[in-house]
Amino acid sequence: TLRLICTTTAVQRKNVGASGPEKYTEAFIKKQIEEFNLGKRHLANMMGEDPETFTQEDIDRAIAYLFPSGLFDKQARPLMKHPTEVFPEQRKIQWGEDGRPFHFLFYTGKQSYYSLMHETYEKLLTVQKHQDQLIAQDSSIPLQKEKRNLAGSRWLTKIELEEMLLEKVSDDDYSRFIQLLQKLVALPCADIEEKYIQKFSKEVPVQLQKVVIEPLQYDEQGVAFSTGEGQRKTARATAVVYDNGTGKITVNGIDILHYFPVLQDREQLLFPFQFLGRIGKHDMVCTVSGGGRSAQAGAIRLASAKALRSFVTEKEVEFMRQAGLLTVDPRVKERKKPGQEGPRRKFTWKKR
Amino acid sequence: RIMPVRWSRYNPSYLEPEVKKESYQKPLEELTEEEREQMELKAVRPIKAAPPTLSSSVFSDPMISKFTNMMMKSGNKVLARSLMSQTLETIKRKQLEKYHKAPENEKVTIECNPYVIFHQALKNCQPIIGLSNITKGGKTYQVPVPLTDNRKRFLAMKWLITECREHKHRRTMMPEKLSQELLLAFNNEGPVIKKKHVLHKMAEANRAYAHFRWW
Repeated sequence: TLRLICTTTAVQRKNVGASGPEKYTEAFIKKQIEEFNLGKRHLANMMGEDPETFTQEDIDRAIAYLFPSGLFDKQARPLMKHPTEVFPEQRKIQWGEDGRPFHFLFYTGKQSYYSLMHETYEKLLTVQKHQDQLIAQDSSIPLQKEKRNLAGSRWLTKIELEEMLLEKVSDDDYSRFIQLLQKLVALPCADIEEKYIQKFSKEVPVQLQKVVIEPLQYDEQGVAFSTGEGQRKTARATAVVYDNGTGKITVNGIDILHYFPVLQDREQLLFPFQFLGRIGKHDMVCTVSGGGRSAQAGAIRLASAKALRSFVTEKEVEFMRQAGLLTVDPRVKERKKPGQEGPRRKFTWKKR
Repeated sequence: RIMPVRWSRYNPSYLEPEVKKESYQKPLEELTEEEREQMELKAVRPIKAAPPTLSSSVFSDPMISKFTNMMMKSGNKVLARSLMSQTLETIKRKQLEKYHKAPENEKVTIECNPYVIFHQALKNCQPIIGLSNITKGGKTYQVPVPLTDNRKRFLAMKWLITECREHKHRRTMMPEKLSQELLLAFNNEGPVIKKKHVLHKMAEANRAYAHFRWW
């Protein structure tokens, strides 16, 4: 099981739609939608704009103008949005007036999940049948397997699957479903069911180079330079890397030999230059504050790596990223917990 | 800000960084398909930041940094690192002395590179099989068990360090004693190698209980 403890709050957002039976009837939601549309037209008349072309942004601006609120919590301010955004999508009641459920798997408890598994398995069987037919005709297994780009796509996460099925899915169920999908994809003739499989796979952005590389700046005298900022633990650093240099590096006005007496820190400062093979070609002037000696070295390393991106081809930027030079180190000091002496150390255990 | 209590600060999808320059200069004619898949995966996934002990320079060696960390006491990395460099220097000096005193035909056999000596000595100290305590029917038996690579390296380094710390005269410095031990281990002599042989003999003696192991 994957216990995602170190993920962002967005991923851990509770799926309100899948938690329990419905709280609002369908008629209630319809009424809310009618009221919303009426209110939209009234608001447009009040503001003097055309009711037909009144967009959501106009609504937000109008509400902010008519009901100014000084509250700090954005979620506590007056809000006017379409009911489908306010009330999350929920399952409607699954049984008719006589009490008989609509779906044949209702009494399993997880009807959508089991029906999905049955569907996927049916697809698997059809693919196998197709394969057998081909073997019977040509007596050869067609190896038309252009490997699906595994790196470019990912399966739906558990939360996305819950949103799709509108019911809770446990970790075990989710892993079983993914295993079944992988089994389906592994067969050679899985191209027939490509459309069905695409419903459950998402494209990952091909390159993780979403960051924009700034162009070089030129100062008086025509020397090219670029700046970069870096941080590590509590240290913040800014670095300015100049071209046509001799390899001199200055930190807070002091030469690195005097500022960093330890060899390891100097090694870290020179790491990006050594990796790109440009040791004697650049000059660097940096400012750093906060943190300890190793944190300051790490911060300057990140800042210089970011500054060097502008001097270097895209391929080399990708190599730097894969060497771990361009990622911010998220490790910080762990907090002390109550009832313990430190972040992990417990108090001495006394028998009595 | 989320404060994860037990697991690492990185998302599980983050991959380890590859620092060596040579692996990025290989052209696209890599032999295995696995390497190509790895490359594609690396292009899509985020990568962890390189730790401060790792660098692409010729002088950074993962084994030496691991050994330095094990030698370190109360987080004093500066002292541990200086001890390590002094050890390597003493090894080089001793080997050079031997080299200059030896006759012509033996000069080729004498190894002067301290890194090579360090790696070879560690390799010679690594045990092949270890013992583990298994309780069966109220009695605890020492059962011979195969060891993983990491465990072998850890045991070799631990034995070297404990040996140097305990059996050394009060006035001798750590680099001197360590260089002595490393040179002895390089030639398959010395107390650490003896300890390894003792462990192997114990495992051979307890061969009868090998079937107690269930993994």
